[in-house]
Amino acid sequence: MNLSIQIGNLKLKNPVTVASGTFGHAEEYYDSEEVKKLGAIVPKTVTLHAREGNPPPRIIETASGMINAIGIENPGADVFIKEKLPFLRKIGVPVIVSILGHTDEEFTALIRKFNATHGVSALELNLSCPNLKNKTLVAQDPEATFRIMKMAKTVSNVPVIAKLSPNVTDITSIALAAESAGADAVSLVNTFVAMAIDIKTRTSILGNITGGLSGPAIKPIALSMVYQTAKKIRIPIIAMGGIATTKDALEFLIAGASVVAVGTFNFVNPRAPLEILNGIKEYMREHKVKNIKEIIGSIGHKHETR
Amino acid sequence: MPKIQNKFRIISNKKVCQRFHRLCLDAKAIAKNVRPGQFIHIRVSDGITPLFRRPFSVFRARKGIEILYETVGRGTEILASRKSGEYLDVLGPLGNSFSMPPKGTRRVVMIGGGVGVAPMLALSDALAKKGYELVLLYGARTKGHIFKMDEFKKNGCKVFIATNDGSVGVKGYVSKLFSKIETNPQSTVVYTCGPHPMLAAVKQFVLENNLRCEVSCEEVMACGLGACLGCSIKTTDGYRTTCHDGPVFDINKIIF
Ligand SMILES: Cc1cc2nc3c(=O)[nH]c(=O)nc-3n(C[C@H](O)[C@H](O)[C@H](O)COP(=O)(O)OP(=O)(O)OC[C@H]3O[C@@H](n4cnc5c(N)ncnc54)[C@H](O)[C@@H]3O)c2cc1C
Ligand SMILES: Cc1cc2nc3c(=O)[nH]c(=O)nc-3n(C[C@H](O)[C@H](O)[C@H](O)COP(=O)(O)O)c2cc1C
Ligand code: FES
Repeated sequence: MNLSIQIGNLKLKNPVTVASGTFGHAEEYYDSEEVKKLGAIVPKTVTLHAREGNPPPRIIETASGMINAIGIENPGADVFIKEKLPFLRKIGVPVIVSILGHTDEEFTALIRKFNATHGVSALELNLSCPNLKNKTLVAQDPEATFRIMKMAKTVSNVPVIAKLSPNVTDITSIALAAESAGADAVSLVNTFVAMAIDIKTRTSILGNITGGLSGPAIKPIALSMVYQTAKKIRIPIIAMGGIATTKDALEFLIAGASVVAVGTFNFVNPRAPLEILNGIKEYMREHKVKNIKEIIGSIGHKHETR
Repeated sequence: MPKIQNKFRIISNKKVCQRFHRLCLDAKAIAKNVRPGQFIHIRVSDGITPLFRRPFSVFRARKGIEILYETVGRGTEILASRKSGEYLDVLGPLGNSFSMPPKGTRRVVMIGGGVGVAPMLALSDALAKKGYELVLLYGARTKGHIFKMDEFKKNGCKVFIATNDGSVGVKGYVSKLFSKIETNPQSTVVYTCGPHPMLAAVKQFVLENNLRCEVSCEEVMACGLGACLGCSIKTTDGYRTTCHDGPVFDINKIIF
């Protein structure tokens, strides 16, 4: 059975990973023996300088989902490289580091820092965090996406992935911009801008006022975005958005994703990524599928339109 | 400290008073490793509503793990409906724990507000028969929050109760009971858990009397593992996660 997936020159042994920010820096995860079996791991987004994050409350549970406004709390690239990366490297799975620069120069500086280390298999550019009070996200602007990806590809020694926002009119146009700038893959989706109000105090519950919706509630929308995007681009799609079960993961693969990432559901069932990996293998056995690529993008149509 | 995620059988799940239930889980593997102040993270139903697990302090860890919980919303109501013999998905033990009283301690004062009294039984189990004078101040809203305090008493605790409506014990907030205790900065330590207004009153009390005090904090949690950074609270050292850096903190470090 062949489950391997290629992202640029990076080979993943299987198509199951975790979404940035839902897995900490891996040391919090309860069993590194189990983590070893994943295709890759993606730690929380790292910025050039440390960020203390947004004021609490930072999370709210919603109907089948959650809203978060963490605000990219992280120790900054230097501390991450010194204190977190060695542990991540030791797990022995490809590490895809998620980075976020507030300017083009910060992105360049971050990429240079990771070029100078070893044990980083790919970089994911977080172009889409909704919780930083920016007027527009990079991933809401095809030109900015193109510019930053082009620069990243020139500087980086490892494959570069663009993480896209669903808070756009047409996500495929942003994915196309990333692809034409040389991106090795795109990740979609990040969270949907959302909020909740306390009717007693008539104030927003989140310290940051708005946050991002994730979890099973967003799955059908994320799925359709992956489907639309897969029809337009040729580079691999790393899909996330409410994946909780094997069935969810298979839907994304059939819609055209090459890799699936578990996010919010890690909080509910820390074993979900592995259960999904095993479930995919079982599905392949049952349906006599030898290569995962036979599933990817295999969606057909009951009612072909002429 | 190994964290375990597994399905554990419910031994019993009974009402102990109008507002509280007591759940006992056949979870020896967790009971073996747990320290007072730690919590377990329970998935109350297998579906996606409610989505998050629910955190509960360990009330008692003997043969199994016991929690004392108040039904306040959908999650705890579902939990109350679960029957003995059924299985619950539990992650734990999680978080840090109360530190043991420093040398020279003679009097240990535990202050619990509402269901915040739960971790105090586990603490008194650990401190019983060690020669400390144990005092429990319990503040409850109504008679509906009063359950049998026998287990505390068996551990040698002197128990004082205050209810908001005066139906049991002293009428008023738990702070009415502060005058009941003699304090000495060298030999008295305080442990507390409860709603924020009560904690603010406790903080003032320990500041005025120059006492050491640890508090177990409660925040809405997602992962419970320190991974999502969702349960952070403001401390004098910056934001700290309640689930992983806490739930127990030095009360002077918390910015309420
Ligand atoms: C470390 C820790 C230990 C806890 N120990 C106990 C315990 O021993 N016994 C017990 O009864 N409860 C305990 N709690 C609180 C318990 O987790 C909540 O009451 C429970 O999650 C509510 O779930 P629900 O679905 O019934 O309520 P919801 O419908 O989710 O909410 C009902 C109300 O409870 C509040 N609430 C929700 N979650 C929490 C939370 N995590 N902490 C505080 N308030 C919350 C909400 O703001 C709302 O006002 C503890 C919480 C923490 C963080
Ligand atoms: C608590 C939390 C923190 C997150 N932090 C990040 C982050 O640091 N960087 C990032 O690119 N995405 C972050 N995300 C978004 C997820 O990686 C993912 O794209 C999104 O949640 C959708 O997937 P899900 O529904 O499976 O969670 C975060 C999501 C959550 C819930
Ligand atoms: S609940 Fe996720 S960090 Fe505390």
